[in-house]
Amino acid sequence: MIYILSIIIILMAGFFLVPAAFKALIFGVPFIKTLKLGSSSIFNDINFLIDPLSGFFILIILIMGLLGLIYSKGYLKPYIEKGKSVTSHYIFFVGLILSMIGVVSCQNAFFFLIIWEIMSLTSFFLCIFENDKKEVLDAGVKYLIFMHISVIFLIIPFAILSIKSGSYDFNSFSNVLKGNEGLKDVIFTLFFIGFGIKAGFVPFHNWLPKAHPMAPSHISAIMSGVMIKTGIYGILRVLTFVYEPTKFMAYFVLIISVISALYGILYAICQSDIKKMLAYSSIENIGIIGIGLGTGLLGIVHNQPMVALLGFMGAIFHILNHSIFKNLLFFGAGAVYLKTHTKDMELLGGLIKKMPKCAVLFLIGSVAICALPPLNGFISEFLIYFGILKGLSINSFFNFLVLISTFSSLALVGTMALLCFTKAFSITFLGHPRSEAAQNVQKDAPISIIFPMGILALFALFIGLFPGFMFEILIPVIEPFMDLSVITSVKEPLDMLQTISYTSFAIIGIVILLAIIRFSLSKSVKKAPTWGCGYDKTLTRAQYTGSSYVSPFLSMLKPLFKNVYDIEKPKKLFPSSAHFAMEVEDIEEAYVINPLLKFDEWFLSKFEKLQNGNLQDYLKYGLVFLIIAIIGGFLI
Amino acid sequence: MMVLLNILIVLILPFLMIGIIRKTKAFWGGRYGASIFQPLYDFIKLIKKDYVISDTTSFLFKIAPLISFTTVLIAAVFVPLITGNAIINIQSGLIIFAYLLALNKFFSLLGAMDTGSSFEGMGASREACFTTIVEPAFFMIIASAMALSGNFTFDALSKIGENSGSYGALIIIFATLALFLMVLIEGCRVPVDDPATHLELTMIHEVMILDNSGPDLALITWASGIKMLLITSLIAKIIIPVGSPFYALYYLLTIFVVSVIIGTIESSMARIRMSHIFEFIFIMTSFALVVMSLTVARVFGG
Repeated sequence: MIYILSIIIILMAGFFLVPAAFKALIFGVPFIKTLKLGSSSIFNDINFLIDPLSGFFILIILIMGLLGLIYSKGYLKPYIEKGKSVTSHYIFFVGLILSMIGVVSCQNAFFFLIIWEIMSLTSFFLCIFENDKKEVLDAGVKYLIFMHISVIFLIIPFAILSIKSGSYDFNSFSNVLKGNEGLKDVIFTLFFIGFGIKAGFVPFHNWLPKAHPMAPSHISAIMSGVMIKTGIYGILRVLTFVYEPTKFMAYFVLIISVISALYGILYAICQSDIKKMLAYSSIENIGIIGIGLGTGLLGIVHNQPMVALLGFMGAIFHILNHSIFKNLLFFGAGAVYLKTHTKDMELLGGLIKKMPKCAVLFLIGSVAICALPPLNGFISEFLIYFGILKGLSINSFFNFLVLISTFSSLALVGTMALLCFTKAFSITFLGHPRSEAAQNVQKDAPISIIFPMGILALFALFIGLFPGFMFEILIPVIEPFMDLSVITSVKEPLDMLQTISYTSFAIIGIVILLAIIRFSLSKSVKKAPTWGCGYDKTLTRAQYTGSSYVSPFLSMLKPLFKNVYDIEKPKKLFPSSAHFAMEVEDIEEAYVINPLLKFDEWFLSKFEKLQNGNLQDYLKYGLVFLIIAIIGGFLI
Repeated sequence: MMVLLNILIVLILPFLMIGIIRKTKAFWGGRYGASIFQPLYDFIKLIKKDYVISDTTSFLFKIAPLISFTTVLIAAVFVPLITGNAIINIQSGLIIFAYLLALNKFFSLLGAMDTGSSFEGMGASREACFTTIVEPAFFMIIASAMALSGNFTFDALSKIGENSGSYGALIIIFATLALFLMVLIEGCRVPVDDPATHLELTMIHEVMILDNSGPDLALITWASGIKMLLITSLIAKIIIPVGSPFYALYYLLTIFVVSVIIGTIESSMARIRMSHIFEFIFIMTSFALVVMSLTVARVFGG
């Protein structure tokens, strides 16, 4: 019942918003709705605006929200059968979707923050769906704390801007910042930290790999694929009222993004929890989006419109692409979890035979996220690469150094993603099952899970095959941050995208052709066990595991991790028990967050004595407080 | 016509290249050696054979060789071969080229992992790891070449010399060396890998294709030969002067010389110990860094 109601609400929202979004995106006609609340000057006009930028985000939110809803039907079924109530879950789900739409369309700082908070809270409640597990609650609380730190960083710059301009409206902010370079940098940095916590830029990412794996898969997908993008939206919106960015901003974004991308993918490689791996890879992709943004900003700063266009387009494109393949992968991971009840890749294997549809769709997602042609991920990374190459011609030493290292870092990130996702796919789906759980899977995931995945895979393929078409549609989105009129022609990138499109068609065409030839050859096929060096009964547990797959690579980068071992060595002649477990701890958590928390605990413990249960003392505190308040009042 | 010639080169030359390498090895070993067309005969023999397929594998195992082959074939379209011009000469062709090779790698890794064998897992793991080192170095060279020439097509490679003044010779030497190492690494030659043995000694590329048989194996060997040829073609593009009337001749000569050098290396040294291979591969990175720093010196130092 509540499920159907939620779908109706989302469809209705879509009915009203999609035409407006399309109008904005394709015809460039923004939609403005002004609310009047009371006569107070602050709340006088609350604008809700759907310009191409908002329209773009609204379309992503609605599509992914709807697919998430469809998916949840299959995913939550076992929970419902166990008697868990999902009513509140769906209410929060719809709340999250609507509040995200609110965030990307609201133009009033005050209401923006309120809706922002609603978004954080609803996602918090969605996140702690399995609230009978302690680790879920811990992760949820951590998420909540981080979101509130984020809000603090947002309130400060919004407050400064609205005090200076005397209005909460975004439009009035640009006048305050015009020409004031120093203030611009400070405000932008604060905004970047605030929105960056939401988006998951390193070093503000700590909540992300904790919260995402704990949520139900469709929620992880929405959070990772869509919600963290509202952080990026925030940064983009801030850029519209900063308008002329400074050099500092460009390099700041670029350097943080490169670090995020490398850090994210490095830790993604370490993970054996499939959802945690996807969460870290979201950090990587946010980094790639940021690299695009940074390149775009550099292009504006150095007055190279083509560089700016390619950078921004790459970023916008990657926002779309990432939400497509990350949702697809999270859906796939959820299907695997649903069938095997484990998220640990080391316990899986051989699922491609039991769940072929799910496996193929997950494979498509993996190819896309590794940015390989013929799928969509390649398009956005290609635009960013090309933007950086064009940017190399800017005649500045520092710029050259930053860009060329960004360029090769992006290549490194790409190949590390290849390592990460060949591992994820092959350990989960290929080879022999590594545990009972994987062995006992009977049939593929239900249609309500396969269908949304299929749709997303089609999107990925469509963008890969027709990148030029999407490019032209998305161009208006970047209009707010740069003057498009200086670009005389976008023929150059379009031509290249056309070639990529032909290449993609050629890959698919030739593979199909070869497959037809190969499978029509009249050859005898002899089935035999895998070659095992003369041993014909090989142990399935002796297969290569995920951690052994990545260990040659990780052994080169040892100093970047903190490994937590749990070893019990076999003792005596006939050892009764032995085990080995290794976990990789996030270096930031180990060396920054945990010491900070320890300090906090130590510091606050000094005040424990204040709470001594003595009523007289409490009255004394009250008196002291009153005196301070009164004296303070006089002084001010 | 030119297109046909290019296609012919792509399809035939890889076999000859491997044939020459083997002939060189035979020469240094004091043997007469097989004909340089032997790899081609081997290929035809493999095509005629039937399949033996592991019952652990899925359809992916059968499709992976097709995809690997397709990708190198399409990658060849973007690379300047015997005529000195690529069939499709577009800007950023190098990036498309690199990513097509990555797609090739992606599926050959999956194909290996599909067998559930720990040998193949080992090979895949190492191969994937090498890529993570090789690719960024390759991109550094690309970016340097493009920054020097201001040209974003493959022609950027051939213009390194004329645009880098007194640094020209150095940049060409280091870029060539780096790409030559890439040929050794990607082509799975000694001292990184030994294509002549199959099991314990060389648990990299050769072990990844342990379970492939018949036409599948034929396609895989063909594809890896083409890959080697393509990277060697990049070397040719760098060292052959622009607009040379004898480009085709020089090109064939380059391929021949590179093959002979590879053969000589294989006869004169053993494979490096596994734990030291990474250090060897990082030599390519350092060469790429040298190219990059020389580029910076050229662009900003005058």
